[in-house]
Amino acid sequence: MNDKLTNEKFEFSAENMKTYKDLLTRYDDVQSALLPVLHLAQEQNGWLPDHVVEYISNLMKIPSIKIKEVIAFYDMFYDVPVGRNIVHVCTNITCSMFGGREIYQGLLKHFDTGYLTPTRDGRISLQKMECLGACELAPCMRVNNDFVGNVDLTTAIHKLEELP
Amino acid sequence: MKETANNKDYALLSYHHIPGVHNLEIFERAGGYQTMKECFKKDPEAIKEEVKQSGLRGRGGAGFATGVKWGFFTKDRKAQKYLLCNADESEPGTFKDRFLVEKNPHILIEGMIISAWALATQKGYIYIRGEFYQQAMILEKAIAEAYAKGYLGKNIQGSGFDFDLYVHRGAGAYICGEETGMISSLEGKPGKPKLKPPFPAIKGYRGLPTMVNNVESLAAVPWIMKFGAAAYKQWGTEKSPGTKLFSISGDVNRPGVIEVPLSTTLKDIIEIHCGGMRNGNKLKAVIPGGSSAPIFNAEDSYAVKMDYEDVAARGSMLGSGAIIVLDETRNMGDVLKWTLEFYHHESCGQCTPCREGTGWMEKLFKRRERGTAKKSDIDILDRTASSMRGQTICALADAAAMPTQGMIKVFREELEQYVTTSTRK
Ligand SMILES: Cc1cc2nc3c(=O)[nH]c(=O)nc-3n(C[C@H](O)[C@H](O)[C@H](O)COP(=O)(O)O)c2cc1C
Ligand code: SF4
Ligand code: FES
Repeated sequence: MNDKLTNEKFEFSAENMKTYKDLLTRYDDVQSALLPVLHLAQEQNGWLPDHVVEYISNLMKIPSIKIKEVIAFYDMFYDVPVGRNIVHVCTNITCSMFGGREIYQGLLKHFDTGYLTPTRDGRISLQKMECLGACELAPCMRVNNDFVGNVDLTTAIHKLEELP
Repeated sequence: MKETANNKDYALLSYHHIPGVHNLEIFERAGGYQTMKECFKKDPEAIKEEVKQSGLRGRGGAGFATGVKWGFFTKDRKAQKYLLCNADESEPGTFKDRFLVEKNPHILIEGMIISAWALATQKGYIYIRGEFYQQAMILEKAIAEAYAKGYLGKNIQGSGFDFDLYVHRGAGAYICGEETGMISSLEGKPGKPKLKPPFPAIKGYRGLPTMVNNVESLAAVPWIMKFGAAAYKQWGTEKSPGTKLFSISGDVNRPGVIEVPLSTTLKDIIEIHCGGMRNGNKLKAVIPGGSSAPIFNAEDSYAVKMDYEDVAARGSMLGSGAIIVLDETRNMGDVLKWTLEFYHHESCGQCTPCREGTGWMEKLFKRRERGTAKKSDIDILDRTASSMRGQTICALADAAAMPTQGMIKVFREELEQYVTTSTRK
């Protein structure tokens, strides 16, 4: 699957190219802009396959291997295809006290999937995460960019079934 | 009268009750940015001295005096250097910086401008964890408002001083909260910590002097400069002056963020500020300073005063001020298992004692799942934890070892029982 995708083309949209140029002005060297640039590329492409890495490598003059190292290090950069919606489920201390782990397992089962594997309709990827910094909402999840707190398996499923 | 949470007169949340205070105009109408304007008329050295006199201690976890750390920074105002705000907030149990930034981003920005002027840093970054996307957007918007007003950028308030401020989003890694890991990350690399010394204040981001301060530390600066060090010391103790934000979660009726004077008793925090224990259950234990802090039994929890020295005297640490409350229904084996899994997952892998130690501890503790655990495993766990301490590039290894040893000290029998109860079906 990966092989096929490496032949695909990627370039920043006109608007993102503008954002890219603005990002560079914020730092005193090019490589410091790498994390924000990867965020931007991932927003546009959904995940960061080899051909996107190549594009960024050429653009920023950073060796691909260095970029791949960065992608591998951070949990929120994806080097595998992911669903249209990313759902983080917290399994750290406070959330686990209130059933966070059971919710994560229950969601995997309901959507018949595994860690980060997109659901068959390509809609959702579930990701188990460490403390999300919102423990007062335990058990809590992040649905794309928003916190959803005080869930149980039923309300979590309901919320995720509404996603486009 | 008993003090209540979010007191309007306190140093950090004094604007939080004002609707819409995240807008610059409303913040300013309530008195915001006045102190910044006054500070530009002051000698930068006098600002540093005032912060030092206030006794403010870094709120990121280590509790090192902010003014003293500022004193290590070069006084050469022309030299290129950076101010780096730590908004990574990844210590499990902590959510105070998020709360502060969500409702009142401008108090942080005002604090950073004053600090930048005092320290003569030409550029600043707010490194915010990737999960705080909406909070990063709130900060971006607030920064744009401050630029529009001329509070950021060139020649601020006619002072001849330039300061640019940017938000930098992380991407999901606990270790980026450690200041040198954060610097690696800001440099566009994996967030791997670097050996200290040299400390970031001497050689930090891009090899240049970099002052790293936590959100809450920087946000306290405007109040200190407005009312003075002496006023700040009306709260707390000699060694722990001022007010502090606490993030409280777990088995209480009202989890959330409160601001109280340091040295407030944990009992008052639980019973008055958080509405007591959930379901009227009995308290069993409290993790008083984030997942790295050794746990307290009920007795210590009800006796401790939440200041740096009393928490330390009882064998734990105040850390980031993350209080996790556990009631009688909780099994300490589960809590330790979750903690060990976390540290193993987050070890960056550079140091053998940390990489192997966190992995081994997790594996050992989970032998019950294969039915091969023995009571004596707890001793091995204790020794493994002990051998990890003080051996590594950063303090993550210690942060994993401390709560493990603490848990064994307080709840050994329960852990022995836990590991020898096979979960194999
Ligand atoms: C493993 C580890 C994680 C840390 N995480 C954070 C964090 O999330 N936020 C923070 O402000 N400080 C964190 N720190 C402390 C920072 O290294 C640094 O001391 C702090 O940001 C300095 O700011 P302060 O003096 O205002 O506390 C962490 C330290 C370690 C060892
Ligand atoms: S102690 Fe652990 S987290 Fe810190 S640098 Fe070493 S391996 Fe990395
Ligand atoms: S433990 Fe789940 S958000 Fe902190």
